[in-house]
Amino acid sequence: MKRRPQLNHDELHQLRWLLGGGLVLLSTATVFYMEIDAWTLMFVTAAAVGAVMFWPTLPARVPAWVHRLAFPVIVAFFLGDLYLTGELLPPIVRLDILLLLYRGISYRQRRDDLQIIVLGLFLVVVAGVLSVSLVFALQIVAFTACALAFLLNLTLADASGVKAAGDAGRGPPPWAVQVQWGRLFRRLREVLDWRVVTLGALLFAGVVGVSALLFLAIPRFQLENSLFLERFMTRKARTGFSDSIKFGDVTDILQDNSLALSVDITDPTQVPAQPYWRMVVLDEYRDGTFRLSTALRAATFSPERGDVQLRGVARAQPEEPVYWTFYLEAGVSRYLPLTGRFVQLRFRERQNFRFADRLGLVVLRDEPVSMTAYRVEGLMAMDVIPDRQMGAWLERATESGAEQTSAALKLELGADDLGRLARVVAEIKAGMEPDVEEFSRRAVAWLQARHRYSLQSRAPPGAGDPLVRWLDSSEPGHCELYAGALVLLARQAGYPARIVTGFKGGSWNGFSNNFTVRNSDAHAWCEVYDAAVAGWRRVDPTPGGSADTGSDTTAAGAAGERRIDRSWSARIDSLRVFWYRRIVNFDSRTQEEALRAVKSATQESGRRVRAALEDALARLKAWMAEPWDLRRLLQLAGGAAAAVALAWLLRNARLAWRDRGMFWRRRTAQDPVRREAGRWLGRLQGLPVEPALRADLERLRYGPLAGRPPLAPVVRRARQAWRARHEARITREN
Amino acid sequence: MSDFVQAGQISAAKEMVERMRANMRQTIKGKDEVVEQVLVCVVAGGHLLIEDLPGVGKTTLAYSLARSMDCDFSRVQFTSDLLPGDVTGVAIYDETVKEFVFKKGPVFANVVLADEINRATPKTQSALLEVMDRARVTVDGVAHPVGAPFMVFATQNPVDYEGTFPLPESQMDRFLMRLQMGYPESGDELEILRSTRAGYDAIRLNAVVTREDVLKLQALAGEVFVEESVLDYILKIVTATRTEADFRAGVSVRGGLALRTAAQARALVYGRDFVLPDDVTALVALVFAHRLGLARPTSDALEERRAVAAVLKRIVAAIPLPV
Repeated sequence: MKRRPQLNHDELHQLRWLLGGGLVLLSTATVFYMEIDAWTLMFVTAAAVGAVMFWPTLPARVPAWVHRLAFPVIVAFFLGDLYLTGELLPPIVRLDILLLLYRGISYRQRRDDLQIIVLGLFLVVVAGVLSVSLVFALQIVAFTACALAFLLNLTLADASGVKAAGDAGRGPPPWAVQVQWGRLFRRLREVLDWRVVTLGALLFAGVVGVSALLFLAIPRFQLENSLFLERFMTRKARTGFSDSIKFGDVTDILQDNSLALSVDITDPTQVPAQPYWRMVVLDEYRDGTFRLSTALRAATFSPERGDVQLRGVARAQPEEPVYWTFYLEAGVSRYLPLTGRFVQLRFRERQNFRFADRLGLVVLRDEPVSMTAYRVEGLMAMDVIPDRQMGAWLERATESGAEQTSAALKLELGADDLGRLARVVAEIKAGMEPDVEEFSRRAVAWLQARHRYSLQSRAPPGAGDPLVRWLDSSEPGHCELYAGALVLLARQAGYPARIVTGFKGGSWNGFSNNFTVRNSDAHAWCEVYDAAVAGWRRVDPTPGGSADTGSDTTAAGAAGERRIDRSWSARIDSLRVFWYRRIVNFDSRTQEEALRAVKSATQESGRRVRAALEDALARLKAWMAEPWDLRRLLQLAGGAAAAVALAWLLRNARLAWRDRGMFWRRRTAQDPVRREAGRWLGRLQGLPVEPALRADLERLRYGPLAGRPPLAPVVRRARQAWRARHEARITREN
Repeated sequence: MSDFVQAGQISAAKEMVERMRANMRQTIKGKDEVVEQVLVCVVAGGHLLIEDLPGVGKTTLAYSLARSMDCDFSRVQFTSDLLPGDVTGVAIYDETVKEFVFKKGPVFANVVLADEINRATPKTQSALLEVMDRARVTVDGVAHPVGAPFMVFATQNPVDYEGTFPLPESQMDRFLMRLQMGYPESGDELEILRSTRAGYDAIRLNAVVTREDVLKLQALAGEVFVEESVLDYILKIVTATRTEADFRAGVSVRGGLALRTAAQARALVYGRDFVLPDDVTALVALVFAHRLGLARPTSDALEERRAVAAVLKRIVAAIPLPV
């Protein structure tokens, strides 16, 4: 019979050491996505703990005074950090990592091991709450597995009764001296047979399953709002999508291929083949920088309010509304990407925001530190953003002949630059007086004929405004330069124009069936006010963009055009979308839906089983009611014989299985006499029992079958002896 | 192995063993434990390696055992110039019969004391191998059986290493047990001092059992019943020595068999026809210690012996007794 080898104490200790170090490394890796400045500390911890994991004798070389000084130094570090940073959470996280570092590089007693689990769990959970990212899901799963293995190991080491040796300054414990990792892993492979692995997997699945059940069943509450963790942190935003943009800002974002936005749409045919996700509108141009002018901000943005939903200006359609669910990654912008007007916008949790219905923009008060989810009902993909107020204002301005005060018309340039612009505009107009649409088309054609698209671009040297210099040269340029140049030209021609930044296009994720926009889809384009349609017409002068301003190609019309992404990154993104859809965005409404689905499924299957039973019963009754003849009797007998044969086969198979010792290892357990005698021997162990009784019990337990005394009298005597001792003890205690 | 041993046989065996024990106690003072271990070894039909300093009664022990069993005793002092022929015997050309005649060596006895075995060269040591394993000597293709019963008492001094050839592992494996004598208690030593006897030749002991009795005992020991869970327990111990990181290598299959045989013999010595787990635990160190080497050898032999014993003790403590 093959025997399963077991790890000895030293190997258990070595494994414990490895798992503990692994837990430290795993939990400090949270720094990667937490965006707390602890990089140095993390790398120091990773290097030190990694080294100590590999060479476990190293901690013995740390002099004893280090251990004595460790606590005061850590406390001083924390207090200093707290004083210097002024925030609460980052110092706590750094303190946690520091403690992990200290625990990771010294020999641990059992409570130190438990401390590692608690400290690590704190880090992982804080990181998870701060950034509801997919990495957190993977990490908590890995952490759970590692911690389970670690606890199991602790229990085993404890059960084997050897203290976790190792004290500061007393030299390395024996297990650390004779460490051979290769040997340990070979031994682990020997020990890990399918039973252990199955048991471990079952345990792990159990923990994960129970967590999933709890997740499904417990009432929903807003973790962020209850913990206020976000308040303890500040965070830097990308500059590309803020309300002031220098040239090159958007292009910087283009370099980043990570996910920016995922959109779920209940009716995918509603998405245009090349949607423009508007985020920021910038109307003021001065010194090479586009800004959102204070006047426009004051005129269009509502006062800040905190709410979970927001009613838009679009009117609800009578047919089934289309819902767009946006998952905006952390760190993209405070401005929410939208394609136009909408009926209603609903946040996952309460947000503080401002809304500009004229611009079609929504801006949050704070840069979100975690993914922001919002659901928009009846969002329209618009090429023209209606703005009647602008038309009214323009009319008034022309009538009164007053000084032009709209930032969308202002050209704060030197006379030289204005002259150059005027020359170009005259060239574009070619003596005619075209309408907005025609002018835009001509200006775009002019720009594209003159400049080549390139991400590497520079304004030619010289005096005056850099944008005008570029415009007048033949240097290649990127989307911001194209858009900026068109805005200047339009304003020179007398049409109000502004820059819009956001994302253009995106791809359709073939795995999770949603729209995916990456940071590399960042784009800048223009909107020129067209009095004929009383709105801002989108003009995208960048080559490769759809230069035509009017055609509304939806996905339904141009399904072939749409980029369907089936790459590996799309696969990973789909996992992320699943995480957002099903886990993060799992609110009370979805919970109710899920529970209702479970309930109806259970009821349905119960009903089916009952129906099947009733059906079978009815058939049996009908069969019984039929007249009996020889054929039916034979059938019955044959069926019964088959059932008996099957039972007999099963029983034999089970016995054979058991004899192989796969499940029932202790064969003695099959002999009830031996088992009973063994039980009494164990019970009487250490008690002064008459030798004859003990000999009889031993013979029953270990002796040959032949010549063994009858069990019952021996057990009776054993019981008497045991009772006598027992009662004697009770009287003695009383 | 028959399942059935007559109760009378068992009690007779116990009575024989008790007679031998009492007889040997006349000359071996205060070493009851050692005497018992030697008796177990005799009943199991194994060979003994006694490790101790000179002059603690090793020869006396062997001689009084031989006397008690009415057996031939011979003693070979192993030295570095001892030749294999000196142990086994040689074939000499006999003029009178005009052919080679085998002259039996000292190994042709029942109890052979191989004193300071590690002083001889490996060639001579290995000459003992066949005798110990098969109880016969082959010279010039002719096998000559040695005495029956046959038992080798080898002694060696663990402290002195100058000019010795440590026994190879294959030969170590052929000894059933390794014993330590140790100094007697002060009271027992006083009694020894009081006695006027000097040297083992002066020992006058009567034979209490015959050679045939001993052979019967050995045959009976093989029939002692070992229950499945006890076998399982032995196997667990053997496996544990193989997976133990402190040992260079585990116990061989022969080692496991030796433990079983010794446990059967001990059961018989105690007058039982079945083996208890206690028989096994009592013998583990005696049967296994000399078969195991540390993965990291220490420079000092005594320290190594202690370390091996400690690890064995730990292993046995960690394995639950079959209940």
